[in-house]
Amino acid sequence: MKEDFQMSKRHWRSVVALVVLVSLFAACKGGTGGAGAEPELLRVWITWGDNPAQLQELFNRYAEANNVKVEINSPVEDDKVITALSGTEPPDVLVLGGPDNVASWVNEGLVAPLDELAAEYNIDLNDMYPAMLAQGRYQGKLYALPWGSDTYGLYWNKDLFEQAGLDTEKPPETMEELLDYADQLTKVDENGQITQLGFVPDFSWGHMEQYIKLYGSFWFNDDGTKVQLDTPEMAAALRWEQQFYSRYGADEVLRFVSSTGEYDSAQHGFMAGKIAMMVDGEWMVGDNFINGLAPDLWYGVGPIPYPAGHPERKDTNVVGGTVALIPSGVENKDAAAKLLAWMMTPEIVADEMVVNFNLPSSKKASEDQRFYQNEKFGVFIDLASSPNATFQVFTPVSSDLLDELELIEQQVLHQGADPGPLLQAAQAKLQPMVDEVVGK
Amino acid sequence: MSAAGVTHTKHRISWRKFLSRTLGHVIVFSVGLFFLIPTLWMSFTAFKSRTDVFRFPPTLLPYDVKEVTINGERYPLYRVPIDGQMREFARLKVEEGNGTYVNPQSPDEVVEMRARLTEPVIAIKFHWNNFSDAMNRSTRPGLTVNFWTYLKNSTIVAALTIFGTLVSCVPVAYGFSHIEWPGRDAVFVLVLSTMMLPFQVTMIPLYLFFTSTLGWGDTFLPLVVPSLFASPFEIFLLRQFFLTIPKDLIDAARVDGASDLRILLQLIVPLSKPILTAITIFTFLWAWNDFLGPLLYLNNPEHFTLAIGLQDFQGQRNTAWNQLMAASVVFTAPIILAFFFAQRTFIEGIKLTGTKG
Amino acid sequence: MEARRMVTPVPRAARRRRWSPQVRRSFIKGILFISPWILGFLFFNLYPMTKSFAMSFAEWHLRIPSEWIGLANYANLLHDRRFWTSLYNTVYMVLFAVPLTVFSAFVFAVLLNLKLRGRSVYRVIYYLPSIVPVVASSMLWMWIFNTNNGILNVFLGYLGIKGPSWLTDPAWSKPALILMGLWGIGNTVIIYLSGIQDVPVSLLEAAEIDGATWLQRLWHITVPMVSSITLFNLIIGVIDMFQYFTQAYIFAAVQAGTTAQQLGSPLDSTLFYSVYLYNRFQTLKLGYAAAMAWILFVIILICSLLLLRASKRWTYYESEGT
Repeated sequence: MKEDFQMSKRHWRSVVALVVLVSLFAACKGGTGGAGAEPELLRVWITWGDNPAQLQELFNRYAEANNVKVEINSPVEDDKVITALSGTEPPDVLVLGGPDNVASWVNEGLVAPLDELAAEYNIDLNDMYPAMLAQGRYQGKLYALPWGSDTYGLYWNKDLFEQAGLDTEKPPETMEELLDYADQLTKVDENGQITQLGFVPDFSWGHMEQYIKLYGSFWFNDDGTKVQLDTPEMAAALRWEQQFYSRYGADEVLRFVSSTGEYDSAQHGFMAGKIAMMVDGEWMVGDNFINGLAPDLWYGVGPIPYPAGHPERKDTNVVGGTVALIPSGVENKDAAAKLLAWMMTPEIVADEMVVNFNLPSSKKASEDQRFYQNEKFGVFIDLASSPNATFQVFTPVSSDLLDELELIEQQVLHQGADPGPLLQAAQAKLQPMVDEVVGK
Repeated sequence: MSAAGVTHTKHRISWRKFLSRTLGHVIVFSVGLFFLIPTLWMSFTAFKSRTDVFRFPPTLLPYDVKEVTINGERYPLYRVPIDGQMREFARLKVEEGNGTYVNPQSPDEVVEMRARLTEPVIAIKFHWNNFSDAMNRSTRPGLTVNFWTYLKNSTIVAALTIFGTLVSCVPVAYGFSHIEWPGRDAVFVLVLSTMMLPFQVTMIPLYLFFTSTLGWGDTFLPLVVPSLFASPFEIFLLRQFFLTIPKDLIDAARVDGASDLRILLQLIVPLSKPILTAITIFTFLWAWNDFLGPLLYLNNPEHFTLAIGLQDFQGQRNTAWNQLMAASVVFTAPIILAFFFAQRTFIEGIKLTGTKG
Repeated sequence: MEARRMVTPVPRAARRRRWSPQVRRSFIKGILFISPWILGFLFFNLYPMTKSFAMSFAEWHLRIPSEWIGLANYANLLHDRRFWTSLYNTVYMVLFAVPLTVFSAFVFAVLLNLKLRGRSVYRVIYYLPSIVPVVASSMLWMWIFNTNNGILNVFLGYLGIKGPSWLTDPAWSKPALILMGLWGIGNTVIIYLSGIQDVPVSLLEAAEIDGATWLQRLWHITVPMVSSITLFNLIIGVIDMFQYFTQAYIFAAVQAGTTAQQLGSPLDSTLFYSVYLYNRFQTLKLGYAAAMAWILFVIILICSLLLLRASKRWTYYESEGT
């Protein structure tokens, strides 16, 4: 009896297991299908993805109008992009957070040139801000189109200005004034502990390209054939940054900065009123940051100060940001280009960038009144349209150079190292790498 | 050293036992705090509002600004210094650093002052909606994708991986334990050495093999099929357990004329329930947490697993931490349950000491 | 596993001759049983391994023809300062983190084996962190490590210690990561726990009757009885730690907008071997990355073999000599 019962129980169990397995494998196969008689599928990968659902919704507008299916994948990690670009099924359009890697990918033959396609599909390159468009060119050819863009300005906390007896509507004009203001806005208690800092040059998403351009130079020459790290300008910019640390003791400043909260929290040094001024991008004014996390903050935004002797460099700012490209492995480049052209129309650029609090790449799009609802955001649009708005030159060794430069910056700022010898060593290492790439 | 139990009275022994037991509890509990506090914090963060996530000084419980209703509208409550006294007023608006505050009891009493002089009145508030928001976040308009899609996919992948692992590793481990063949130990060292291979060595060639050669891109196949071909860690664990099964038992079965397949299925497998549970849990954990595999091979959000679904919460520069924590709680809950109920069998299953059972 | 040599010893001279039919049959049977692994090895290990080994002698391009450059990748590695830094950081982790982790796991397992009420709840608590997704745990620890406001330094402050700036001080960034790793050692603890439970109760009781204290029993009986687990955990620990990547990578990625998101920050102190390897992969120096991966493989192989060798002196197998 007992035996029988156990047997039947076992049988029953194996039948259930079998049924479950078969249905699972069916589900697995089901997942593999997809194509067939359905409308053509276009795949768009976006390496940033603040809101995947919103992006899918945006592209659904194209899908409906053109009877295709658009599949959005966002955010996408670098591993995936690189392996997919090398495989047989890359995405039709790839949207990147920045153009940093484009030159190196072009060199590897992973990116399709866009000059002809842009002409064929009537992409209005004249409507794009020149500085933004320039970052997608490499060796005279166009490989990537700007979609949205970022630029940087000076943020100042008006409450802290008022408390320090400074005019709340007059931020520092020059880099020397900035140093003086920072001094007045820094507070140290009786134990020598910092309780408030005026300005921390590297307390920022990105900044070095801004400072070096304000010092009138850049780490690559214009055609990207020469590395210019061992220049007096480069050293001067780093020494200027260094002062903000050396005055109060680098260790103390670091301790203080590492005691502030996360970048995307209300305890962020600037939002919490711990750091009086900072250099950061336009997204900071948006809903994901100050507007959403510290909506009551009383602050202003303006251009980053320029060196005292060079008023002609006022409003200098480096734009850079989201670019879209077509991988060279895409079979139907026409379908991809058609989609890309749609993405670049002023209405779509405006709709997407308004949501994301990023600068539009199209001049017509920037006239959209929604961008000016937040007047601080308008300051950034004006900066990006200024004649002093400029761009970075990217080369296949860009990311190597930046890795090196970031280390040097840490050594100079946080450890008080002399920038001169470090920059010379980096120059000696990187110039041969550029020569090798250019030589090809 | 110790004069263990020579002249102790019964009473003293139990007193000592009580003391050592209490000490045990104190130690295990305090060490446990090291594990517990961050985990608890994760769970409570799942209930916090966005501005509350990183509050300084840190609070475990979720707090929010208290609200009051005046004329049918809700306003936040602030502590406002009036005539040297801190009073609780509702805040109507803030502009250019200036706040307008009103006494909730008598709405005619309105004051204006610098907002920085006031501080919010906070109260405990659980944001249950973080969980539903977290689930909704995965929804893709126009596609049939939501949080349950991810959960379903994770379950399918995990179940198939477990199936594949058990089906393939059991015979392989048997081949490495109860069959004697020349070269066996050398091959076994080879098995172990594949564990030492950094994944970057094989990543690109494998990707090209699966997608270009086999055309398995955007399917579960590259995630599931390799499990049918046995993996070293599981082989090792199984083999160690099988070795604890007395050889005499197997020899006796052989003498009775049982084939190796029969010995494996009818003798060894029934004796190996603990290790099979352990393998099931390890494999489940591995498949459930696997990030790189699904990341590389799955493109369509309809095929995503939970591990990559967690990326939905991370933007370029900001992360929805409260929702991510809510999703993490949902993500880990099944594993905790499984562990709680299976821990005995699970722990018994791992045999590395070579003790004969 | 050495102790379990069960293969019929085949003399070298005999091997060259033909196997007896019986040996041949068992050989075929053995191969049949392990055939799933053999196939998997050929497709998923041997093929990609060979390919990347070959490519470590080339400038490996994905869409344009690769160029053979002989030993240039390996030669360049010798002059790459960051390569050596990353190797140093990784060896640091292997030397400090692995023994510490294995030791702590043993202690925790002993604690969890105490006969206390609510033991199964304690076990869940100790195990729980190892299943928290890395993104979530990275954020938790970032908050714990905050210099003035994190609970760790607040706690140290109560003890009168001025806690370091964990994430920006190059001397403390690796200890911080080790501490974070200790939090998630549940699996190692479980493996130890299972071993401790296998220690024969009769042995422990006999020792107790002989007057051995709890500590003496632990040291003279439990520790030697689980020595094979210690070996296993050490080897797995060394293998994992040489490939230390995910935690460091995600931890850096989570610290958006701070200097810590830079490569190996602060000051290259968290530039681990696999992190640098991944960086080379990202910049499409694929041949270089393949060379690095192969060097790592060889290092791990050598370390594991050395450990196995040395272990013969101190590991104990009950079946030894049988």
